Amino acid sequence: MTSNQFGLFGTDPWWLVLLKVLAIFVILVLLTLFTIWWERRVVSRMQNRIGPNRVGPQGLLQSLMDGIKLALKEEVIPRTAHLAVYWIAPVISATMAFLAFAVIPFGPTVSIFGVKTPLQLTDFPVSVLYVLAIASIGIYGIVLAGWSSGSPYPLLGGLRSSAQVISYEIAMGLSFVAVFLYAGSMSTSEIVAAQQPVWFAVILLPSFLIYVTSMVGETNRAPFDLPEAEGELVGGFHTEYSSLKFALFFLAEYINMVTVSALATTLFLGGWRAPWPLSVWASANSGWWPMLWWLVKVQLFIFFFIWLRGTLPRLRYDQFMKLGWKLLIPISIVWIVIVAGARTLRDQSATSSSRDTLFIAAGVILLAAVLSLVASSRADKRKTQADEARATVAEYQVDAGGFPVPPLPGQQAVLTSRRDSAVGTTIIQQRIDNQENADG
Amino acid sequence: MNPIMASAPALFTIRSVDYRAISPVLIILAVALVSVFVEAFVGRSARRPVQLVLVFGAFLATFIDLITLHATRLVTAAGSVAVDGPALVMQGAIILLAALAAMLMAERMVDPSGDPFAARASSLPGSVDEAEFSARGYFQTEVWPLLLFSVAGMMLFVSANDLLLMFVALEVMSLPIYLMAGMARRRRLLSQEASLKYFLLGAFASAFFLYGMALTFGFAGSVNLGSIADAVSAKPSQSGLLLLAVAMLSIGLLFKVAAVPFHQWTPDAYQGAPTAVTALMATTVKIAAFGALMRVLYVAFGGIRWDWTPMLWIVAILTMVVGSVIAVTQSDIKRMLAYSSVAQAGFILVGVIAVSGKGLASVLFYVIAYGFATIGAFAVVSVVRDASGEATHLSKWAGLGKKSPVTGAVLSLLMLSFAGIPLTSGFIGKFAVFSAAIANGATWLVIVAVIASVVSAFFYARVIVLMFFSEPTEATASVVVPSAFTTIVIAAGATVTVVVGIAPQPLLDLVNNAGLFLR
Amino acid sequence: MNAAVQAGNVGETLVFWICAFFSVLGALGLIVSRKAVHSALWMALVMINLAILFVANSAPFLGMAQIVVYTGAVMMLFLFVLMMVGVDSSDSLIETIKGQRVAGILLGIGMGLLLVFGLGSALTNSTSVGLDAANGVDKGNVQGIAHLIFTDYLIPFEVTSALLITAALGAMVLAHRERWIPRLTQMQLSRARFAGSGHPGNLPNPGIYARHNAVDTPALLPDGSTTDLSIPGPLVARGGIRPVDHAEVDEVAAITDGGQS
Repeated sequence: MTSNQFGLFGTDPWWLVLLKVLAIFVILVLLTLFTIWWERRVVSRMQNRIGPNRVGPQGLLQSLMDGIKLALKEEVIPRTAHLAVYWIAPVISATMAFLAFAVIPFGPTVSIFGVKTPLQLTDFPVSVLYVLAIASIGIYGIVLAGWSSGSPYPLLGGLRSSAQVISYEIAMGLSFVAVFLYAGSMSTSEIVAAQQPVWFAVILLPSFLIYVTSMVGETNRAPFDLPEAEGELVGGFHTEYSSLKFALFFLAEYINMVTVSALATTLFLGGWRAPWPLSVWASANSGWWPMLWWLVKVQLFIFFFIWLRGTLPRLRYDQFMKLGWKLLIPISIVWIVIVAGARTLRDQSATSSSRDTLFIAAGVILLAAVLSLVASSRADKRKTQADEARATVAEYQVDAGGFPVPPLPGQQAVLTSRRDSAVGTTIIQQRIDNQENADG
Repeated sequence: MNPIMASAPALFTIRSVDYRAISPVLIILAVALVSVFVEAFVGRSARRPVQLVLVFGAFLATFIDLITLHATRLVTAAGSVAVDGPALVMQGAIILLAALAAMLMAERMVDPSGDPFAARASSLPGSVDEAEFSARGYFQTEVWPLLLFSVAGMMLFVSANDLLLMFVALEVMSLPIYLMAGMARRRRLLSQEASLKYFLLGAFASAFFLYGMALTFGFAGSVNLGSIADAVSAKPSQSGLLLLAVAMLSIGLLFKVAAVPFHQWTPDAYQGAPTAVTALMATTVKIAAFGALMRVLYVAFGGIRWDWTPMLWIVAILTMVVGSVIAVTQSDIKRMLAYSSVAQAGFILVGVIAVSGKGLASVLFYVIAYGFATIGAFAVVSVVRDASGEATHLSKWAGLGKKSPVTGAVLSLLMLSFAGIPLTSGFIGKFAVFSAAIANGATWLVIVAVIASVVSAFFYARVIVLMFFSEPTEATASVVVPSAFTTIVIAAGATVTVVVGIAPQPLLDLVNNAGLFLR
Repeated sequence: MNAAVQAGNVGETLVFWICAFFSVLGALGLIVSRKAVHSALWMALVMINLAILFVANSAPFLGMAQIVVYTGAVMMLFLFVLMMVGVDSSDSLIETIKGQRVAGILLGIGMGLLLVFGLGSALTNSTSVGLDAANGVDKGNVQGIAHLIFTDYLIPFEVTSALLITAALGAMVLAHRERWIPRLTQMQLSRARFAGSGHPGNLPNPGIYARHNAVDTPALLPDGSTTDLSIPGPLVARGGIRPVDHAEVDEVAAITDGGQS
């Protein structure tokens, strides 16, 4: 790409680049500390608790203290660990988490010490792909951590995580395609610029929803936190990690959260541009203000993450994979076809016959997609019903052997004969009597 | 302009594609897609009949299409597809032979359990799963879309005028065959091993082809065969880059034709794969691979033929000698046919070395004649069975000709054709190839080739002797009465061998009128 | 202007030497490592460095695609399979064919020399064209690739879809295991558990005693008795049950009951 197309990118003096790098690093670390506190407070509120409130005002310094404590803790390395890989895994995780932020635009061009420069470390024609690429290297951290721990739970966690991230990266990548089509570019700054009147979240709503779903899967957060499902895998890939190495994973997870939120903001919510009522104010989109809008938007996404964690139970692994492969990916593909068709329509609006063809084609595709979805869900339901029909042999009793049990889904309570139920009642009555006798 | 549309991408002119000219491939690909949908949406019991109708319908339609296209000579799609005489002839031959192979694949009377393919390729050999699937009469109908994709790949392979398309077509052709090779119903471990070996070595060869492609691009700045030819004639030929490129590309393609020393996969893959798939590999893949090899060498590197013919001389001699000599020592008929196919590849290479229109025509004639004879031979192998399945060990063939004279006679005929005995198609083929080579001054090569054919005649004759001049024993296998499918294949193989052997002129006219490769 | 170009060249040279060093290191590591997982990691290193070189040579799209596709997807699947197959599997150094290793090394070196000298001699006297022409026509690397895909290489691009469909179909044929008995539902499973003679609920946890709480200690039931049900089957099979000092148990019971029982 010729340099003039990217304006001021690549023209910063070296001290400014260094300054920006430092700023990004500081912002991310601070955001991590804040997010941990914020998450704990919000989840506590949702669970009628107070949450951290001792260290600092409102407990704000709690995560800082926790971080220091974590770094100073004794480190336990399993004897079966593959040392080199065990060491490098958290480093990969954390480094990659930081690297992805290089192409996120924080704001418009500003003047720093007399040098005009965009509030973004760098940008290039394929920056969104760069984020994807960095994310895909980041998974190595998790997978290698799982493998090198030399212990089964982390291994399973690592395997799950790689399967999960690969699966959801496809849906994520597909959700970008519509954005690329509309923005005509893969560079983040140009995508922000392309959302001038309307955000892509509005005109490309399906893509936005798919992205939001897959970003939760990509970051291994609840309800998609299967790689570290406590009930099944202890702590997942980081079970055998402690001290600073564990802290690095922790840091990486929260930075990744911020990264995907920032990417969502950039691609779908107009980046640093002011939202509608504010955008009436002319200077809302210049100077340092946009950084505030950017931060608010990112924080909204982070709140959404926390809200999900506070509300939803974890999915079962098969449900999760089904959601990714059988719902998100097919829907994205159909949606991309429609978007591409619509774009072609607009580009070639002169010929009405081609427009009709495209409309018909879009209709047919949509119909076929809906039909196949309906058909597959009906087939699934039929299958479960058939299985259940085979399973239910109508011998379900409301109070089998004196222990009342509620009917399972899809089951009809079969009334037992009066004598049986009388027996059941008698047994229960007897137990109550016994209890009373013992107490008395 | 709507502000949502940021920077409209620079519009470029779409290159015109003559879809009529490439319609044979498109038909096959379209039916292959329909066939995939059939797998997904049609009920289990109806799948096989629907697939058979689709597959044979597609072959019929494509063949008719090819006949209507017979006079087409053009290069289309930005120079990446050449629809010329040799391509059309080979495509026609591929369609006919693939249809015959499909008949072998559709045969259900021969194997007592039904299909020649494993009920479920995913079930572990010898597991409860496998027994259960077989008992329930499940059939792996996915072979049909795979077959169609493979055939589409072969058809593109012979008409690809662009190394990139050639590579993609090579993979489209090979991948389904790797898969199908591992799906035999009997001796599944052997079959899976064959599949894996074929796949690994095939991938290795593809890597060579790709490397060669990259080097060629480095030399010529294009992957289009015509542009490469221009670059070759424009620049001095003694470029190491170019020679390396030719060597790498040739290795990739010689692997597919099973030339020595790139033949190691052949015996194992031929032996382990289901016989119907072996028939496909030995005939259509060979045709496609020779088509591509000649197109690359003649069209792109015709200008430096004096640099690559010595290499092909060595490969051809090695192929003929090693193939013939090792075939003598084989005791399994499928392995013997595999080495025979290696040796035959050497004879065909003799025709390739005669870089001329005559050489091209003779190779076309040879591969077609050889294809029909081979598919007949494998069809015969598939009906000679004992309790454990196909009786491929030669000891079980002792006295078979006395037990079943017709089968014995047909196989003997085909063996005579392989050996190049007059009045069979094999003789005419060898004669055409050798005379083309002599016309081009490769007399010494022809002398080696004749000696090798004498050696090869020995092991072909040994099968005939074994069948007719030894007494049947306890172990002698019996000939199962097949359905119409296999009968048609055997009959077609034998008929073409005899008719072309006695009246070769129509086929000779066809290949001579095909003309040269376009660029 | 001249100075800028010079600076660019210095940076590019630096990037080249760093990435070249790590690529070669990774490639050597790939061959030398005995553990398959380590080889895969070295391979990933090679690919990442190649991607950086692509980006440095004004082919950013290719670089990113290299990472996303090869490092992110292909190598990850490799790792996935390697980990599934065996955590600790490493190559055996036993030769199945005698002299194979020596022959392999000699042939490999020969091939390498051939390539190095062939390419070296071909490239030393050729002038580089540069990428500006290729990237300039369509105002960018991405647009240039799109242009080629949709014009000159339209047919190969479309035929690739046939390859992908075949691959998907093949994966399904080789790996999809169809059920011939219906999947047991949750209800059937629980019915089987209760109808059978086994233990219907969760098995008891390992016992917690003053000195041991490992999995091989028998569970301590609420009534003070012990049961071996808590011990995993493999341990039982190996005879690895830790004997319980009953005196201790009785003592505990005596203390908690206040000496009543």
